[in-house]
Amino acid sequence: MAERFSVLPCNGLDKAVGPLAREIALAVVEACQGELVCPVLFHNLPARYAQALELPLIVIDGCGTRCATKLAAEHNIRVTRKLQVAEALKLAGESAGESLTPDAPRLARCRQLAERLVSVPEERTARDSEAAFAEPAEYATVTQDKFIFRIPRQGYLFNENHCWARVVGSRARVGISDYMQQELGDLTFCELPQVGAEIGQFDAVGSVESVKAVSDIISPVSGRVVAVNPAVAEKPEIINEDPYGRGWVAELELADLKSDRALLLDGEAYLALVRQKAAGYHP
Amino acid sequence: MSDETFMGVPREKIPWYPTIDYSKCDFCMECDKFCPHQVYERREGEVMLIVANPTNCVVFCRACAKTCGPDALAFPNKQGIIELIKRLREEGSDG
Repeated sequence: MAERFSVLPCNGLDKAVGPLAREIALAVVEACQGELVCPVLFHNLPARYAQALELPLIVIDGCGTRCATKLAAEHNIRVTRKLQVAEALKLAGESAGESLTPDAPRLARCRQLAERLVSVPEERTARDSEAAFAEPAEYATVTQDKFIFRIPRQGYLFNENHCWARVVGSRARVGISDYMQQELGDLTFCELPQVGAEIGQFDAVGSVESVKAVSDIISPVSGRVVAVNPAVAEKPEIINEDPYGRGWVAELELADLKSDRALLLDGEAYLALVRQKAAGYHP
Repeated sequence: MSDETFMGVPREKIPWYPTIDYSKCDFCMECDKFCPHQVYERREGEVMLIVANPTNCVVFCRACAKTCGPDALAFPNKQGIIELIKRLREEGSDG
């Protein structure tokens, strides 16, 4: 029996993506015997769904306006999984079209997206790599007022978007730096990339969301995603607690480290950059 | 600020910033509400939003585009920008 979820979908009935979000929500509820949360009624009468929302929540946004996500955030409800229909279709090389009545191929795609949402995440972490990607041995620190930013002295490469790569053999783990996690504040959501996705250097390899802002995780290295860290999707605060260790986001099979390396900073160079940023740091 | 650099290159030499397609934009202002770097500015009149501070935009960040319902925001080709940065870095180290 699949895990049960409650589902909060987009209610955009005037755009083609809205009815698709609805179809996906219905398919999710059917697949996991879950509970449907009507965004309109929830907005007016949140107590009506108090019981349903004891289940882990799946949010389905139609478009980039992300009404359903914002509604969940307004009510301080943790989102366990989410989908943005327009983005998911774009990834598949498709579009929502113009019609407010979904056609058969789109309905089939909706069912497939719903199945993916409720499926049990595979054991995607290579267990034997845990030891290889051990925690940093030594940190340098930059102190500014009450803030202390840590930077591993060795073994990590950084880009100027405050993301790191830790290379071991032909693979690298990527994540965000201590500076970035403090700048964002308490993280409420981490979006992971798809396993198998080909990521170019400086492409987004996921995103992190806090009460303050959403930020892309810009990959320092190019390669194919071979594993993601399900722990940070469940508990994004792990990234706040341990950004260079347990807070890793994805593991990539490297495509061209030699070329990527030319555009990256080592620990010492990144330390200098953080020193410079921190001097003007008044969040 | 004119002395800002990104990857060792003066920021103003890197043309990374959003372009608004005004045939699609419905001036919902979600991108402006979202962007913490004041890239956008609101205006009175028919065109109610412009890209006022392009060099405030974080190079390689496209996060505002995800907030855009009508898909009206475009960014330059990333590979082209990487090539440009590499070239400017080489020129910088030569001179």
